[in-house]
Amino acid sequence: MFGYVRPREDTLPDGALERYTAVYCGLCHTLGEAYGTPARLFLNYDFAFLAMLLAPETTDVDIQHKRCFLHPFKGKPACKNREWLSVSAAESLILSRWKLMDTLQDDNLAGRLEARSFLRILDQGYQKAREKCPAFDASVQYHLRELRKLEQEECPMLDRVTDNFAALLQAATPVTENAKKARILEQLLYHIGRWIYLIDAVDDLEEDRISNRYNPVAARFPQWTDADAAYLRQMMDHSLSLAGAAFQLLEPTPWTDVLENILYSGLPSVEELVFSGRWREDQKKHRRKSNERSV
Amino acid sequence: MSDPYSVLGILPEASDEEVKRAYRDLARKYHPDNYQNNPLADLAEEKMKEINEAYAAITRSRSGGGAGPGDYGFQGRQYQQQYTYQQQSTDNGALYSQIRQCINMGNLIQAEQLLRSAPRQTAEWYFLSGHLAYQKGWLDEAMQHFQTAYNMEPTNVEYRQALSMMQQGGGGYRPSGYRYSSCDPCTAYMCFSLCTPWGGPCC
Repeated sequence: MFGYVRPREDTLPDGALERYTAVYCGLCHTLGEAYGTPARLFLNYDFAFLAMLLAPETTDVDIQHKRCFLHPFKGKPACKNREWLSVSAAESLILSRWKLMDTLQDDNLAGRLEARSFLRILDQGYQKAREKCPAFDASVQYHLRELRKLEQEECPMLDRVTDNFAALLQAATPVTENAKKARILEQLLYHIGRWIYLIDAVDDLEEDRISNRYNPVAARFPQWTDADAAYLRQMMDHSLSLAGAAFQLLEPTPWTDVLENILYSGLPSVEELVFSGRWREDQKKHRRKSNERSV
Repeated sequence: MSDPYSVLGILPEASDEEVKRAYRDLARKYHPDNYQNNPLADLAEEKMKEINEAYAAITRSRSGGGAGPGDYGFQGRQYQQQYTYQQQSTDNGALYSQIRQCINMGNLIQAEQLLRSAPRQTAEWYFLSGHLAYQKGWLDEAMQHFQTAYNMEPTNVEYRQALSMMQQGGGGYRPSGYRYSSCDPCTAYMCFSLCTPWGGPCC
């Protein structure tokens, strides 16, 4: 998706980072095993978050040591392939596929060509993922189409545009007999979806302005004053607080502390970086650091 | 009923002080104030009830079957005043009370249709539209509508409360360790301190 949903390392409790990386690595292995090696290219933080949310209360951390092409010698601890990881892997592939399909309709030729080549290597895995989560597949297709329509109309109603992405993520709630848990997850994912869509729009403000592209935040706040930014931020914090209230109602799992960190520390930090214009620079630093570490 | 100690997340060997602390932490988390107008308020209420029952059961058994020391319970207290129907003398009174009922029962589609059918857009119409938008998670619209309702009738307590809830950005519980770093946690929590079950400050 976008990679905004991640924990903040320096505030993670002891041992939580290891449990988090095990999910991340486990998701990567699951993607490879179920949908072929190319599918691993579409691994991202957001779906590691989703996987932890979907882990049932009864789950153990259940780690095995696994090697991969990034860590061929030492290997890394990874969660074993379980239903919650495989649902999350399927859903991440489905969303990646439809986002690439969406890019095919863009004006940018280079982007279109790149999307086409990715689609080709993704196709086989996608067909399998769609069989696993047909309802999510239909929902993503529908909401991305609606989103494109509203974007083309240059819709100034921020809630209406945002609702499509929020509802898309909300649909990631798996079919479960536990109606209560489904209600909680739906509310949580709706507001996280809202937050992701808005933070992405704020992050793109400058770029979209230069290339004269529609941006939902710019359409709602044409002047984009400091007061507008404060208003939007308060609204986004409100979404985080509603997501947090939903999260507190979930039964604890081995990843409760990581999820708590993401909601109450990770996302607010990302928000601060994006609003102060330091996010992209920080991303580069982050990538350098993790490259050094994996070598 | 499940084991009261596991409901509070403690071992049966826990001291009285530990029992009390565990209860307070959970009560702070699921306090009705944190779920005002929240579509999941009923689930929080259920949790609160479980915790109260578990705490009552433990204190009862520890005091030899007698009454527990003090009543920390929330039972019988009505927190959802904002949902209660208020008799309005306007011509739309019957319609508005029907809309309120729909929103409270989670029937948002019907509420939306009814709102559209209203002949006039009064302050209450804007308030109810804001309430509906909030339930859907449409926070921008909720804010705009509450603001209009308030501007039309600044003396109405209900409208003022709704607007100030939005201006505070939802507020709500934050786990220990993740309190706002920019300000003293105790100051940030001042507004809730009077609502704690023990009637004192919460940190």
